[in-house]
Amino acid sequence: MALEGGWAGKILRVNLKSGEISHEKTEKYIEYIGGMGLGYKIMWDEVPAGTKAFDEANKIVFGVGPLTGSGAISSGRTNITSLLASNPFHGVSDSHMGGHFAVELKYAGYDGIIIEGKSERPVWLKIEDEKVSIEDATLYWGHGTFQTIAGVTAIMGGDSQVAAIGQAGENQVNLSVIRTGLSHSAGGHGGVMGSKNLKAIGVKGTGAVHINMENMEWYKLNQFVLSIYGANNQHVVPRTPQPWAEYDHPGSRWTAKEGLYWEQADPPIETGVCKPEDSNKIGYRTMKAMLDLGANGPKYTVRMGGCAACPIRCHSHVKVPQLSKYGVDPYVANTCMGFYAPSSIMFKGFNVDGESKDDATVIGRSLGSHMADDYGVWCNYGQLARDLKWAYEKGVLKRVLPSAEYNSIPWDKLESGDPSFYLDFYRRIAMKEGELSRLGEGAFWLDKRWNLGEEYWTYKDNKLWTKVGYPVHHSNESNGQVGALISSMFNRDAQCHTHQNLIGSGLPTDVQKEVAEELWGSKNAIDEPANYTPMNRGKAKFAKWSIVRNVLHDSLTLCNWMWPMTVSPLKDRNYRGDTSLEAQYYTAVTGKEMSEEKLDQAAERIFTLHRALTVKQMGTTNMREEHDQLTGWQFDMDPDKEPFTAGTIKLDREDYEKALTMLYEELGWDSKTGAPTRATLERLRLKYVADELETMGLLPA
Amino acid sequence: MSDEKRTILDKTMNRREFLRMSGLSAIGVSTLSWLLPGCTSNKEDVAVFETASGVLIHESPRCTGCLLCESSCTSVNDGKVGQQLARVKISPNYMYGQNGVSGPNWENGTGEMGNFKLNAELCRQCEQPACALACPENAIFEAEKSGAREVDPEKCVGCGTCERACPWGIPTVDTETNVATKCVLCHGYSACVSVCPTGALHFVSWDEAIRKYEDHFRTEEI
Repeated sequence: MALEGGWAGKILRVNLKSGEISHEKTEKYIEYIGGMGLGYKIMWDEVPAGTKAFDEANKIVFGVGPLTGSGAISSGRTNITSLLASNPFHGVSDSHMGGHFAVELKYAGYDGIIIEGKSERPVWLKIEDEKVSIEDATLYWGHGTFQTIAGVTAIMGGDSQVAAIGQAGENQVNLSVIRTGLSHSAGGHGGVMGSKNLKAIGVKGTGAVHINMENMEWYKLNQFVLSIYGANNQHVVPRTPQPWAEYDHPGSRWTAKEGLYWEQADPPIETGVCKPEDSNKIGYRTMKAMLDLGANGPKYTVRMGGCAACPIRCHSHVKVPQLSKYGVDPYVANTCMGFYAPSSIMFKGFNVDGESKDDATVIGRSLGSHMADDYGVWCNYGQLARDLKWAYEKGVLKRVLPSAEYNSIPWDKLESGDPSFYLDFYRRIAMKEGELSRLGEGAFWLDKRWNLGEEYWTYKDNKLWTKVGYPVHHSNESNGQVGALISSMFNRDAQCHTHQNLIGSGLPTDVQKEVAEELWGSKNAIDEPANYTPMNRGKAKFAKWSIVRNVLHDSLTLCNWMWPMTVSPLKDRNYRGDTSLEAQYYTAVTGKEMSEEKLDQAAERIFTLHRALTVKQMGTTNMREEHDQLTGWQFDMDPDKEPFTAGTIKLDREDYEKALTMLYEELGWDSKTGAPTRATLERLRLKYVADELETMGLLPA
Repeated sequence: MSDEKRTILDKTMNRREFLRMSGLSAIGVSTLSWLLPGCTSNKEDVAVFETASGVLIHESPRCTGCLLCESSCTSVNDGKVGQQLARVKISPNYMYGQNGVSGPNWENGTGEMGNFKLNAELCRQCEQPACALACPENAIFEAEKSGAREVDPEKCVGCGTCERACPWGIPTVDTETNVATKCVLCHGYSACVSVCPTGALHFVSWDEAIRKYEDHFRTEEI
């Protein structure tokens, strides 16, 4: 069976120990689609249970999918799979990055890269179409990501794409990233590259992705997708009332409006009114800098940016001349947590001499963003800052740091709001300087070392979701049990936006409920915000569908910050989107007939394999008790309020157990333990997984 | 070549005015021998091209680098998607601008990693198209309706002379088919213009193009 479209057809395998470079045929992996699915399959087949993230036996898989590079809308993402060092049992996990690395890899002729073994000296991987070589990286080792990416590009040419680690990754800091382009970071696996002495991967591709659909038909399919696209996170109503819009919502990222400019563009460009039918203005809909950088964000905005083949430009590109005072280039770009996470390191706020509060915020956030990116430090979805705040304010740091070290840290800068605190802070984390740098190990290991106590886990504002040591990420604030369940299923913060995008779409709850009834058979799958009802079957189906589509997107690869097209901005479609588009895309590109149901089943296979990998790595079937339990604040918050009353997102313990049971049932997992059963594994063509788990005594009774 | 295609080509050639210009022809041949050592041509005619119906222009401040123009260009024209073949060329200078990393002070140069300014190379549909004049097979002709300079795939031998002759390197040889491609203005449709999510690409008349540039420079003076 030859692959005629979509997939490149081969996967690159690089052994850094032996220097051997070989190829795998993609064909044997297509039941796992690509990207995330490819990663899990390889991890299952090739990395033994009990391996630790920085062990030589661990592998790291850069996966892209059949849609990557096809021009499908928002298909520019790279999925990275490996063991995660910040996780207590070094569970399998994914990190993702946008930019242009993924499409370049496809044009070079690869559906993925498997990195194995460990080099004896620092190296980087050079990929120019079929020409692949392991190069000396001594020159780059010890340098930040910006200089490394520039160095590799100088050798490979301006039309190449580079992914690199900073000093944090080199030093095997658990919380470290792999970064590409100007503003795209995959959080969590930088240290795995570091442990293999792999500093960077440079890719240059001159080939093409073949489309198995008549040219203009493919073009029209993409035009249709654009016609139902919204703004960032598929928010489909504007943030402010506009004449064309029936609805508006203050939480919407459809921020464009008259009088809102990219003020540093030359000449300044007005975002203006962007009607849904004006596809040549989609890129203005999300003026993200006003969210990322606060009220004065627009004043510094040169333009927006983002990933390959995506019309939603969600990365703020700003020019902040004041940064030169800190020795940093004035041009900075990032999005969301890339700005917020450093911002919350400075938890006392920003103060810069001669600058307004709003200007100081822009200066501070952009400086923090640049420093974190250059050193390649991961924020653990904002947890790093909360851990610093807790340890500082609770006197933990005074207790655990040698006094000389404690006194050497410029706490006065933190106290006074001087952003130059970042220069010191991120260096210590990335270079593993002193005891403070333990913050870079992640919540679980930090508690183990510093004895933070039960209060650390149960304090609501620490936002720790489970004892696995990661925080909320669209959890109980996102439709109660639905977000809660989704957040408990992975080995790091859930990166699922399927549910959040619908809930945050800006459409009235009544419209969302109609959509829920059509998709999951029950209006009750969706509650009013912060006014929840007890668990029901519709919510379990909604949670399952959200995860399945998330996994699907990371395998195809499509951006789950935009996909699926659950709803649209079009009143004449009754605000409906089209959930069959992923299957239509798959069929069009690969030439293999695919239904929505069959594709969802493939994604369910991938997610069940993820669960099986977790069972295997943890050595227990008891996922309910050992993996899926919450830290407690979710049930104890708002003591004066009862769960399922207006004005609280509080959950109920018994109801949460029921929710787990219902989700396990929907997924065909053992309803008691939450481990995949043989019947389900066989239904999903994972018999070999069932067989292996059985020999390990890890199949539920 | 199919009869149908030959008829179209003949029609185009009839409409065009071909002038026998021996002096220029000699320059053409000598240029060829410089561009393509070892390749000989018996081309004697040099075509005079009429101005194309309009031109693509790129408004850099609006360009955010999604490269949907490139993917649409290649999917519509080639049935496959890649950057190398794209006739709208933004990706080659996307990261570090035209000077690349080796240029001085790249941090403040153009490109995504510099001052964010993205440059596009677009086919100018030149009045005297270097690609067509250099082609040893006379394979680049003027399309009847759009006036775009197009490659006749039946005549093209994939030698790449056009690519090297064009000052902006617009024509590109498809390594899979060994045939050169270049911007054909999508036969009057312009997929890249239609897909651009920030309206940074425009297909305009020559007069309008000049007007737009004048407007731009006026703005700069203020």
